[in-house]
Amino acid sequence: MAITKVNVGPIHPSTHGVLRLVVHLDGDTIAKVEPHIGFLHRGVEKLVETRMYMQSHPYMEKIDYMAPMSVDDLYVSTVEKAMEIEVSERAQYVRVVLLELQRIASHLFWVGSICNDLGQLFTTFMWGFRDRDMALRLLETATGQRMFYVNMRLGGLARDIPEGFGDETLKFLDYLEKRLREYEKFIEKNPIFIQRMKDIGRISRSEALDLGVTGQVLRASGVSYDVRKNNPYYVYDKLDFNPVVLQQGDNLARYRARVLEIEESIRLIRKALGKMPEGNALGMPVKLVSPPVKNRIVSVSRENPRGEEMMYMVGDPQGPYRLSIRAPTFINLSALDYMARGNRFADLFAIMGTLDLVMADVDR
Amino acid sequence: MDNEIDYESAEFKNAKQEMDKLVADSLKNREVRPNVLFSKLSDLTKMVSGDLVKWSRNNSVWPLQFGLACCSIELMDFGSSRIDAERKGYLLFRATPRQCDVMLVAGWVTKSIIPELKRMYEQMARPRYVIAFGECATCGGPWWESYNIIKGIDQVLPVDVYVAGCPPRPENLFGAIMKLQKKLGGAVED
Repeated sequence: MAITKVNVGPIHPSTHGVLRLVVHLDGDTIAKVEPHIGFLHRGVEKLVETRMYMQSHPYMEKIDYMAPMSVDDLYVSTVEKAMEIEVSERAQYVRVVLLELQRIASHLFWVGSICNDLGQLFTTFMWGFRDRDMALRLLETATGQRMFYVNMRLGGLARDIPEGFGDETLKFLDYLEKRLREYEKFIEKNPIFIQRMKDIGRISRSEALDLGVTGQVLRASGVSYDVRKNNPYYVYDKLDFNPVVLQQGDNLARYRARVLEIEESIRLIRKALGKMPEGNALGMPVKLVSPPVKNRIVSVSRENPRGEEMMYMVGDPQGPYRLSIRAPTFINLSALDYMARGNRFADLFAIMGTLDLVMADVDR
Repeated sequence: MDNEIDYESAEFKNAKQEMDKLVADSLKNREVRPNVLFSKLSDLTKMVSGDLVKWSRNNSVWPLQFGLACCSIELMDFGSSRIDAERKGYLLFRATPRQCDVMLVAGWVTKSIIPELKRMYEQMARPRYVIAFGECATCGGPWWESYNIIKGIDQVLPVDVYVAGCPPRPENLFGAIMKLQKKLGGAVED
């Protein structure tokens, strides 16, 4: 049988960015998928080398624009580890609250957009965005910006959370829990959704381990690996956090993993707000002369909403000599070929949607 | 690949001439004769067309979905429930450039995406407009020193409205499209 090559992209409504796919089709069955990346490459790692430590925050946030604070937090933690700066306890709790809010916002966006990919246009998209906007409003009251916060500083934050933030957050969480029940009724009980998602794009436990995927793609295949649990940072070990692990490894499991993770984040925020101590959460002010670098070579990993993001840094007195980033979406994208083989062409975007790609993170 | 087509064959080489000949033949017997009804109608349309076209163009600005990077997330927010762009006639984002009036370039433009950008612009029907949304599309923004980013899309496309901010709020896009409507010459209700 002859193989037909079909080009998808680079500008396509379902690719969540600028990604070109060359799909080899055998009839209507996918034989191979070749992703062509690099359309958003801007050389962050090189640009950072010419900057001082505290000038690089905005660049870091634009690496993963769906969850900017998590990458900013990763960068600050890397620099803190290099300079051996302690983070005060209150700052750790505040960071956990903000990061989990960011995770909720990122997953809500994903829940809205996956239904768009399946052809269920705009109802769930509107719902997801309505709830995401509420989370963003909370983050805006806490940091002052809507999308790019630049709120992390060495040893703490640029500003402490304002008065009344805790009560507003708890109100939002109560509301969101109710909304999640509605999502469940609307999405998970929909037979078309189940047909498009169940047993499609299956990836087994050993394959997932071999391909090196992380995040929900790995946890939906039955591997219990979450950096927050396996290598706890901040106060995650005090909040008795349990990673969401599912066994099926198909599209539906990846969907459920993300929705369950929203619920897990809700629990984490409630506990963190209840346990939050008094004290000083402010970090160092921005100065061009930074404290001396004690560990020259450091690497730190954090659980991003999309998977394990890792940063490797060789430090100089003024700024990073070399900074290298392990992007979770880049490695998850490499698994697309395995996952899509043998499926129908129409399911390609459902499978790609469940990988939760951010092309700026892939290309850097 | 068994059944590959041979593009070097004579029938493909002469395809263009054959097509031209077919088109010429089909047009031979199609001269339009002056018709009383049609001539009167054309007068009428000429009379009203100025204002009517302007009015209709103004109130149905359809944007093209051309999301590149961070700003495209705010673009999606523009179409979602909090802002609800449809109430002003901007409608939802079209996936094909042939149905669109205005191109919203949101995000940094790399050297490898410029040919696609130009191609999308050429596919749009006239009159067409461009809005540069965000710092990166306006002037390169934080990537000014990057080796792979062009410093503003006005180097490749004619831009009508610039929106500053990193990223601009969705409300700013509303303001930008209202500015564009003013440029088109229609009355805009604030």
